[in-house]
Amino acid sequence: MASELDHAQFRLIIPSQTRYLNLVTGLAKRASLVAGLDDATAAKVSIAVDEAVTNVILHAYHGEGEHSVELELRFTEEALEIHIWHSGQGIRGDQLVLPDPKEYIKHPRKGGLGLLLMSRFMDEVQFKSDEASGRNECCLIKKIS
Amino acid sequence: MADLSIAVRQVGHVAILLPTGFINAHTVLGFEETLEKLVKDGRYTILLNCKDLSYISSAGLGAIMGLIETVREHDGDILLSNLQDNVFTIFDTLGFTQLYRVFGDEAQALAAAAPEQKG
Repeated sequence: MASELDHAQFRLIIPSQTRYLNLVTGLAKRASLVAGLDDATAAKVSIAVDEAVTNVILHAYHGEGEHSVELELRFTEEALEIHIWHSGQGIRGDQLVLPDPKEYIKHPRKGGLGLLLMSRFMDEVQFKSDEASGRNECCLIKKIS
Repeated sequence: MADLSIAVRQVGHVAILLPTGFINAHTVLGFEETLEKLVKDGRYTILLNCKDLSYISSAGLGAIMGLIETVREHDGDILLSNLQDNVFTIFDTLGFTQLYRVFGDEAQALAAAAPEQKG
């Protein structure tokens, strides 16, 4: 219910389908501008959100389109926070190793770049798991300088 | 407007791709198929003119990465031109500007590709 939210945050729930990615990245870009970030930074935030939601759809839900991905945008004086929740497979600690770009250049291969873009383009990337509810969260934070 | 459309034309030995729209996990299949068809047809020197590409995610980068070794093994290459600022930032952030030759415009890229022709 709306009463649970204050006026500096809102939520969006989308089906776990890649056709909605552009809708979400467009929203993230606009939200960044509303938060006071510049155009270049807003573009980075939107890419980070694309990567995070893509990970949920393709890896947490294994490409199954009948699930839900819930996003919450929080606007504070210090930062824009984007929380992404899902009930699929959580990311494991050993999957959080960032690839070394120099190694990538020497040995090109697919995969692993999304996490690197997220970490480079955001100030903080956090992964959380709530065993009680079975929900997993990816939290992206961009500070407003 | 379609999420992604890709025009292909041939100039000399260079296949020029002009993607219009964005490349993400939703649209990458069409991009990947276009690239793979070129390679299958033996067109190993590929110029990606990105003037109408609004953004590319890691899904699209993966499609390019997946073919770079193959085209270079056949004395070809994947060249990039006309990158918008945010697309350049994505390539540069990942160190890809060291892996691919990046040009300001199509003419510069074609000029750089031309000397590969040997008599």
